[in-house]
Amino acid sequence: MEQTEPHHSHENCLALFERLSEYIDRELDAATCKDIEAHIQACKPCQVCLDTLKQTVALCRNLERRQVPETFSLKLKNAIFDMVNKKVD
Amino acid sequence: MPNPSGKPKNDDKDTELIRAINGGRQDLFYALVQRYEKSLYNFGLRMCDNPSDAEDMVQDTFLNVFKYLKGFRYETKFRNWLYRIATSACLKKKRRSKYAPDRELSLDEFLPADESAVSMDLPGWASQPLDQVLDGELAGVIRQALLDLPEKYRLVAVLRDVEGFTTRETAEILDLTPTNIKVRLHRARLFLREALKTYYGTD
Repeated sequence: MEQTEPHHSHENCLALFERLSEYIDRELDAATCKDIEAHIQACKPCQVCLDTLKQTVALCRNLERRQVPETFSLKLKNAIFDMVNKKVD
Repeated sequence: MPNPSGKPKNDDKDTELIRAINGGRQDLFYALVQRYEKSLYNFGLRMCDNPSDAEDMVQDTFLNVFKYLKGFRYETKFRNWLYRIATSACLKKKRRSKYAPDRELSLDEFLPADESAVSMDLPGWASQPLDQVLDGELAGVIRQALLDLPEKYRLVAVLRDVEGFTTRETAEILDLTPTNIKVRLHRARLFLREALKTYYGTD
């Protein structure tokens, strides 16, 4: 297996690992983002971690929404109209 | 706190409709239901698994919304308020049924033991086009992984990554701090990533 850069420490990887979601969500300050980007440039395993986590988030965001079953939609409509009419009466 | 100006503080697209309903046009309530019926039903499916529980949750939520709409303050978006009620309905539903046990997810569960344990190659799934996986087997894997998440993590993952609420909005809906939301979300995402790695047989 290919080795990472010699200056690269496991502690840096662990510190970054904790903040990957905040990085993906752009919730970190510019200086921290810059540090993370520099680290990722030099560290293939962290780059893989980031990319797989990004794709996990993207998959969740793109889950298809199901249609509401017609039978339930009708049942809900009737329940709502009953309730509204009761209140109006 | 009440809003003394009476004007919405945000650009909530529902404000006008809610004001009309609260002003006596209760016949318009069903229009509000129609706006959110599909979103809430899908939220219910992610949270409850069982479609019948999801349906009950949606109905309970709208009945409660109707009951408490007069007390809605316009300081928050209606959608956030709605999901707060829906979340509470989900939790009530869950207490009545047997479900995935709650447990803490620790970051240590997901840490690579050392650098050499982390794959050096980007797995194929990490760059797969999204439109090829949305309604196929992979979508089923993601749905199941969401359901396998302990509830407190599932709620955060679903609200943030499926429903698209911000950290601040999710904190408001769940009555937690933004820091707490971030911690839970990160662990939930790592849990889901593990499920995808297993599915693809990659490490």
